[in-house]
Amino acid sequence: MSDSVVFSRRDFLKLVGLGVAGAAAGCAKPPADKLLPYVIAPEDILPGVPYMYASTCRECPAGCGILVKSREGRAIKIEGNPNQPIGSGGLCARGHASLQGLYDPDRIKSPMIKSGTAWKAVTWDEALATLGAKLGAAKGKTLLLTGLETGAMAKLAGEFASVYGKHLMWEPFGYEAVRAANAKTFGIGEVPRYDIGAANGVISFGADFLETFGSPVAQQRGYAALRAKRSDNAGWFVAVEPRLSLTGANADEWVAIKPGGEMALALGMANVLLQANPAAGGADRGALLSAVAAFTPEAVQAQTDVKPEDLKKLALRFAQGPTVAIAGGISTQGAGATALVAAVNLLNHAAGNIGKTVLFDRPLNLDGLATFAEFTQAVKAMNAGQYEVAIVHGANPAYSSPKWATFSEAFAKVPFKVSLATTLDETAELCDMLLPSSHAIESFGDAQPSRGIYALQQPAMQKLPMFDSRPAGGTLIAAAKAAGAGAAWPAEWYDYLTATWAPLHARFGNGRDFEKFWQESLQAGGVWEDVASPAVRWNGTPAFAPLAPQGAGEFALILTPSHHFYDGRGANKPWLQEVPDMVSKTVWGSWAEVHPETAAKLGVKNGDAITIKTDESSVDVPVYVYAGIRKDAVSIALGQGHTSYGRYAAGRGVNALALVPQGMDTVAGALAYQGNNARLTRGSKAMELFLQQAEKDQHGRNIAQVIPVAALLAGGKAEGEKHIAAGKPGEKDYPGHYPAGDGVEVQDPSQTKLGKHTEPLARPDGYQTPAHAITAFVPELGVRHPKSNPIDVGSYKNAKHRWAMAIDLNACTGCAACVVACYSENNIPVVGPDLIRRGREMAWIRIDRFEEKLGGAAPAGLQANDVRFVPMMCQHCGDAPCEMVCPVYATYHNPEGLNAQVYNRCVGTRYCSNNCPYKVRAFNWFDYSAPEKTTFAFPEPLNWQLNPDVTVRSKGVMEKCTMCIQRILEGKGNAKDENREVRDGEIQTACAQSCPTQAITFGDLADVNSKVHEKSFGERKYWVLEELNTKPGVTYLQKIQRDQTSEAHA
Amino acid sequence: MKKLIAAVLVLTSLIAATVAFTQSFNVQLGDTKGPVQPINYSHKIHAGKLKMKCLYCHYGAAKSQWANIPAVSTCMGCHKIAMTDKPEIIKLTGYYDRGEQPKWVKVHYLPDHVKFNHKRHVQAGYQCQECHGPIQEMDRVYQYNSLKMGWCISCHRKNLDNPTHPATMDCLACHH
Repeated sequence: MSDSVVFSRRDFLKLVGLGVAGAAAGCAKPPADKLLPYVIAPEDILPGVPYMYASTCRECPAGCGILVKSREGRAIKIEGNPNQPIGSGGLCARGHASLQGLYDPDRIKSPMIKSGTAWKAVTWDEALATLGAKLGAAKGKTLLLTGLETGAMAKLAGEFASVYGKHLMWEPFGYEAVRAANAKTFGIGEVPRYDIGAANGVISFGADFLETFGSPVAQQRGYAALRAKRSDNAGWFVAVEPRLSLTGANADEWVAIKPGGEMALALGMANVLLQANPAAGGADRGALLSAVAAFTPEAVQAQTDVKPEDLKKLALRFAQGPTVAIAGGISTQGAGATALVAAVNLLNHAAGNIGKTVLFDRPLNLDGLATFAEFTQAVKAMNAGQYEVAIVHGANPAYSSPKWATFSEAFAKVPFKVSLATTLDETAELCDMLLPSSHAIESFGDAQPSRGIYALQQPAMQKLPMFDSRPAGGTLIAAAKAAGAGAAWPAEWYDYLTATWAPLHARFGNGRDFEKFWQESLQAGGVWEDVASPAVRWNGTPAFAPLAPQGAGEFALILTPSHHFYDGRGANKPWLQEVPDMVSKTVWGSWAEVHPETAAKLGVKNGDAITIKTDESSVDVPVYVYAGIRKDAVSIALGQGHTSYGRYAAGRGVNALALVPQGMDTVAGALAYQGNNARLTRGSKAMELFLQQAEKDQHGRNIAQVIPVAALLAGGKAEGEKHIAAGKPGEKDYPGHYPAGDGVEVQDPSQTKLGKHTEPLARPDGYQTPAHAITAFVPELGVRHPKSNPIDVGSYKNAKHRWAMAIDLNACTGCAACVVACYSENNIPVVGPDLIRRGREMAWIRIDRFEEKLGGAAPAGLQANDVRFVPMMCQHCGDAPCEMVCPVYATYHNPEGLNAQVYNRCVGTRYCSNNCPYKVRAFNWFDYSAPEKTTFAFPEPLNWQLNPDVTVRSKGVMEKCTMCIQRILEGKGNAKDENREVRDGEIQTACAQSCPTQAITFGDLADVNSKVHEKSFGERKYWVLEELNTKPGVTYLQKIQRDQTSEAHA
Repeated sequence: MKKLIAAVLVLTSLIAATVAFTQSFNVQLGDTKGPVQPINYSHKIHAGKLKMKCLYCHYGAAKSQWANIPAVSTCMGCHKIAMTDKPEIIKLTGYYDRGEQPKWVKVHYLPDHVKFNHKRHVQAGYQCQECHGPIQEMDRVYQYNSLKMGWCISCHRKNLDNPTHPATMDCLACHH
């Protein structure tokens, strides 16, 4: 026996014992979980059952109706309220993400008082006593600064101000020019309602009506109706703007107008229109004609870069009304903007659109909203020491007003400043006291977003326990009472709110007692009535003087509102940071758009830094080279560059507001966001641009397809469309049977023979296609399809449904509401910019942007525009490439046609992702659900939002779209409960539910009467990468191309 | 001899590894006696002797995917009057009066990443005992069945062609 290794028996046993102990420790029992029942059973809540609470979205002035889904007392998702007239069931990305404002981990935890530079937590009683003492001494010297408030809160603020001083209601995007111009031309100083769906065509003068301007969700709905028109002279959309916005990207034609030339173009068009139609303008014809006399097509060419013949063409098309020209959004906040809106009003009036598509029956309610000029007056008053106390709620002027307006300096001079913010934003940082307000989803309130709409906001859950907050109205009441005033007010905000509804009860009560009226109004989301439009007449024609951009520099600076962050208030929501901007496809930061030629001249490419310098200031930003902007312009979005406002917002990108030079639209009193020049130089700083989709060319793969309207009307097939629907309901070829006989050429005899791995195309008589194999897709002729698996076993035999989707690209605007809805529904982690740049975003649905015809060498004047948006998610293929490569059957085809992914089985080979031609599978590279990891995506209380019906995935597994299987199971369950079949439309995926334009239709393809069946087997259908014969369950409908710039329309 | 030791070592570690590996699939959380609960509630008395319906307290089982643990107020519905002098009822009344939730120890464990819908099974006419065992005989509740996938599937397979309530074998029905 050698002496090298000697084990004693004892040592050996020790070792073995260690091993066994280790093994045992590896699978020790976890500590027993505890189950906590209710002490008192609530009458109306059953654990495991979702409840929907009707409420109102408070993320922008539009005030869409929402339904907040609550499970076990937690709000987990927001959907549009189909019964409320604004929104009608749709909801935008910002609305979905308001949940993350509720669950923002950086919300203010309790009342605080600043001592030195640090915040000290105090109790509400202490804080209110302090504030009460200050208020008592500041009667008439208190400034209450809020964002737009309507309803009870506006009333309370007014009453508060009548005792204590002034109420200033200010919004960065106040549409002052629209209001001023409408007051001048129509005698009604409001933002009208545009009935886009009733129009034959739309011309947008820089109005981002699909993004932030007005009531975007309602306007999107109208837009879908406009675009669905089956006519070659109706349904068109032309965008007039120097930089193509997301709204403009949807247009058929782009007028790349010279910055500042919009007014001249509108007047030039009105000129042509009035000349062409002797009846146009009616009684006001004389006044209109004289106003536009100087603006002949030839005369305006120099200001607009639009050729006279193009202008005439546009004007004559516009004359075939009803049509609508829209000027609005922050593109009409600049010097000369009032004249621009007045010019567009004149154009609408000349075309006879007023009262048809431009309506004042239900205008946006901006009552009492201050202009920027009034805001600067308040700043002056603060500077002069007129205010002893300032209370800020729902506004963040320290961030959203330009530095030269000296808000921060003046605010510092107010001796005692209080913020009622939910999250510590830039303005709250400057305050002396924080009195955290409850979020809209956890408190009562109301709003009157438009005339005749009295919307209610109710809590969908109890106030979050980790944040000691109170509703802002209640705080105001308590503060006033602590100061010895407000005796007439009830102590509670809720009582104040219900009291303000007494007059509405009198009008809408219909004999119900108040309690019943109130409960029923809460359930419905409010009450509404039709409002007659006030008489609209032409009130006067202003003088029109063209105004060129001001300031030094050879580039026009175009500041855009952020589609995701609005004025910046959305920047603290990780979903909105993670979902790419739909123009540039960038995430988590700022970027500046310049034309390729400009970029070449500056010697910069995507991601290189440039310095944008105006007379006021300069910023360094990474470049995004964009063909959809004029050579003489540079564009940058607002909303980023926060210095505070929580972990997700602070320190990302730049605040482009710094660039706005001193100056105002003096007519309307608006901040001049537009109409300024800037200089561009190559920057020296190293910068990063986080692009989610760098390549915007289809490389001829025909992923996003179009059909010219002429071809559609002729019943023809678009290029690329090879097949027509097979069979009709009731025939044996139907549904989804591969056609035999009519319409199919059997090109060679092999197609009728059984191969080793293939089956013949034609099916024998009497063949019943099983549910899971039903498809609208017809494979290429001459190809036998792969042999089907035996389908008469297990659940496959009895399955009744084939879940499928139809996506109408003609309606999709690329707004990304579906993407955020999907994040919300399916517990998708946010991974941050670095991983997204490496292609590791976790989104289950994305919107691909393809630029077919965009800009050109030197965009100027009228040109065709062809940008296509394709929502892309798992196609739930009938012959799925992913399924056949999974070594562990983690992904398989389920009996109802879904391509399933089982997390338990997945071992993370990623073969499926490699083999997926649509790139729709997302791999968990890190443990996004583990709190101890840096990649943790759900810091408390963001984890409260997680949907309990969906597994939170762990590291190393693949995931992808499930077509919201949890919603399908819930819908099937509801049907079973009532002992009936599933109704069409009853089950909606999160994306389909949220879509403002209803571009996504989900349903059962096996139900021949379903909407999805009608669309999948109807006209315009195609399948992405259909040459791969994947038999997708998602059918796309071609976008209708209505470009009229070609010779055929000359 | 050295070789033998090495072989034994390898073999032992292999066995240990195998045991560890299979154990990881084999975690039997519910023990056969059942855990000690904060209140010694007896199903044997309520469901067995008194023949109370399961759904009287666990009413959620028929209406929700989850069977609810009854609220303390549900117990107090009877025990405000019944057996108020018994020590366990005094304990219960204490919870109710303090507004405190009793921390019941979880008994039934499903494997990870699986969803089970009580409503569907109750509505299809299955008795609670088919999964939970002879609850009416248990003084202290314990996990009677393994609740592992093979056990679920054995029943689902038998009922694939059930004329009124066909079961499904689709993974997605439970795993999502």
